[in-house]
Amino acid sequence: MTGEPEGGQEGPAYRMVEHLPDLIQPEEYDRHPEGRLVRIRIEAGPDGVRVTGDAFRPEVIDALFQGLGPDEIQQMLCG
Amino acid sequence: MLHRPRGDRVQCLLCPLRCTLSDGESGPCGVRRRNGAELETATFATTVRHLDAVERKPLFHYRPGSHCLTLAAPGCTFRCDYCINHRVSQYGRDPGVRWTGAPVDAAAVVADAAAERAAVALSYTEPSLALELTLALAESGRPLGVPVLWKSNGFLTPEAVELAAGAVAAVNVDLKTVDEARHLELTGARVGPVLETLRGLYERGVWLEVSTPLIPGISAAPEELRPIAEAVAALGPGVPWHLGRVSPAYRRTGHAPTPPADLAAGVRVGREAGLHHVYVERALGADGRATRCPHCRAVLVERGIWSLERNRIESGACPSCGTAVDGRW
Repeated sequence: MTGEPEGGQEGPAYRMVEHLPDLIQPEEYDRHPEGRLVRIRIEAGPDGVRVTGDAFRPEVIDALFQGLGPDEIQQMLCG
Repeated sequence: MLHRPRGDRVQCLLCPLRCTLSDGESGPCGVRRRNGAELETATFATTVRHLDAVERKPLFHYRPGSHCLTLAAPGCTFRCDYCINHRVSQYGRDPGVRWTGAPVDAAAVVADAAAERAAVALSYTEPSLALELTLALAESGRPLGVPVLWKSNGFLTPEAVELAAGAVAAVNVDLKTVDEARHLELTGARVGPVLETLRGLYERGVWLEVSTPLIPGISAAPEELRPIAEAVAALGPGVPWHLGRVSPAYRRTGHAPTPPADLAAGVRVGREAGLHHVYVERALGADGRATRCPHCRAVLVERGIWSLERNRIESGACPSCGTAVDGRW
């Protein structure tokens, strides 16, 4: 069985990376029991703009980043 | 591997669904397909190649501070609706998930791992679906001293457990709940085979740790956790139990994240069930990640998030009182 591309996922490609910085620390968990905290870091450099996000609700970051129209979104995996 | 003829069909013996397939048909996993009298697999492949800490699997009692070269073949035998890894795990199940795999040269991967003094881990997706890859990695790794590790959902047939146990050195198995109805709702599969896999791996001497995600409404309350803790303790009091905080994700977004108080209560539940080692990765700070002597309670291993800070264990025992600590140190 070969690994031919399948499916019709729309939007930017996701690349799964080893590490992304934590922008939310465990000490903050109790202060946001409903999980509404979102933190964004924007860095401008010679190669362009890099936006890093962290949230208790990943779909918030997904929606935000997809709306920016990037070629690629990097994500960390669990495990 | 692991199939047999059943009339005009071929039966897959890898997972407890034991699908009987007509020619050209795949099982619900979407990555194993009948071709004539044989089964073929899409899982001799990986979507990632990450060098990371063994603590991240999480495996806390297996060579603390060591590294693993992590691969992930697309696909899973479960369809967990909270899966943060759905963009790779749900390949073949979720039509929106793209194929992102690349073929694996097992000998080359093992050589790279050996150069880093690392193990090879299969994680992020369901490694038992990549049993052929696992066996190839183990065969290449044996002469070089490179072990193979799994992070698995434990949904294997006894035949698959027998094969896997000869190939993997350590496994972290997710035990999400022991309630059949809730497990079926959450994952699409029964929990009974997962419990059998836990026993099978433990009895065969594979180093075993267990993880439970504390999902609000499913497995976060003490009365929901108690039977899970008792199932882990029934294997042995030295089996490490990891409690995970769950964020609303994928198709399960209608709840708040697991409160730290629930994780603290879960630690108490585990200890009351007789477990010596109950861990929480982040929410309870360094104390939640520390290994203590089961007898004198001295701190033996201190960890950061996905790192080893200090290991005082000597010859597998507490240096203060001499009590043996289960693990592969």
